[in-house]
Amino acid sequence: MPAPSLTGFNQKVVVGIAEMAVSNNQNVTLTTYSLGSCLGIAIYDPVVKAGGLLHIMLPDSTIDSAKAAKQPSMFVDTGVPALFRAAYQLRAEKHRMIISVAGGAQIMDAGGFFNIGSRNFDALTRLFAEHGLKIQAEQVGGLVNRTMHLNLATGEVRLKISGQPQEVILCKNSTTT
Amino acid sequence: MQELDDYLDKVKSLPPAPKILPELLSLLRKDDIDADRVVKLIAFDPGITAAVLRLCNSACFSGATPASGLQEAVTRLGFRQVYQLVAAVSGSRMLGPAQKGYGIDAGELWQHSVVSAVAAQLIAKSCGEDESLAFTATLLHDLGKIVLAEALEHVYSDLVENSKSEQTPLIETEKRLLGVQHAEIGGRLLARWNFPENITSAVTFHHQPAAAGNHERLTSLVYLGNMVAYFMGYGFGHHAFALRGRAEALDILKLKPEFMPEFMIKTFEQLQFIQSLVNVKS
Repeated sequence: MPAPSLTGFNQKVVVGIAEMAVSNNQNVTLTTYSLGSCLGIAIYDPVVKAGGLLHIMLPDSTIDSAKAAKQPSMFVDTGVPALFRAAYQLRAEKHRMIISVAGGAQIMDAGGFFNIGSRNFDALTRLFAEHGLKIQAEQVGGLVNRTMHLNLATGEVRLKISGQPQEVILCKNSTTT
Repeated sequence: MQELDDYLDKVKSLPPAPKILPELLSLLRKDDIDADRVVKLIAFDPGITAAVLRLCNSACFSGATPASGLQEAVTRLGFRQVYQLVAAVSGSRMLGPAQKGYGIDAGELWQHSVVSAVAAQLIAKSCGEDESLAFTATLLHDLGKIVLAEALEHVYSDLVENSKSEQTPLIETEKRLLGVQHAEIGGRLLARWNFPENITSAVTFHHQPAAAGNHERLTSLVYLGNMVAYFMGYGFGHHAFALRGRAEALDILKLKPEFMPEFMIKTFEQLQFIQSLVNVKS
């Protein structure tokens, strides 16, 4: 028996650095602030209207496996599987999942000594390729700091870029239902 | 130097000098710290006095009975903690407001400064460098932005246009549009406020640590602390990431690039402590 669901008011759930959240509550918008070189990964199943948002900081958990055990959402290789597993519990299915990615900003560093942002995205695309997953919409890299919102009623993903007044739509999922 | 002074003289509203901070810094540099003088110095500033008492009587520090006076509070907290708090309160007063010329909202420059400072302190610790010095220099590294923000606001569309067409570091765009840039103007302002030369130099060269001469180690700490804050998302404003990678900062401190993720994790772990500083009210 499904649990009763709250209606009538909108809730904002904030996902911190190295955290994730999933929900199928249509009143919820998941928000993660200030991605910097971190990546925000939003997934959404338009059929069951469930999805999640993850804010990873680093590509690879082998640097600190104790940390990864405590806080899997810090790393691409541990956070992404955890996000999908959590969404499956809400009956989301892998083949329907719409994936949006933002963040991974990079300073002007030709030598690549400070390339955390691009290493994060490389690790993510590698992991997705291994699992046959495709990114639907992305805004990755560049010189800007981004905030990401996932609306669970519509699956719409919006970005707010620091220093710019208007939010932009990264992924409009309503047509796919 | 003259052009920096000329520029500062023209600015209508400079922030008030944080009087206690440089003096406290020099008091704490001595082997034999004069507790009475520290207390007297802090007592000049009601906002800082209140913050010291509040922190001392907060859940993490308070003993069986609350500290009633400043003297007792300073003793209980320890000089180091008190110093960080003074730096935090002074810094939040200056760096708290929005800096529209950079597209930076209220509180964001302060968050950036605190996270950078904590990261620099952690790196200093692992390199065996002076932690308090790294903290203070890094906390103040972007002071020049609050001086230039107003002028930049008038040319903001030029700034945006300029960085759209070409990949230019923000600091070079400032120089071209205003004739000065925020690092050197911040360093000069701190010198006028009698901050020691190591700090003014580290602030002046925080985007080019190899140019800081004798103070290249401290400057590299500021540079790397700043980087960690940007990577973790505590870097705000228009084209916030328009800054050059300086591998020499790593070389100077004999660090490998692989250390950067480790410092990010350590900084992340300090976030709770950072939050308490960010929320400090003066």
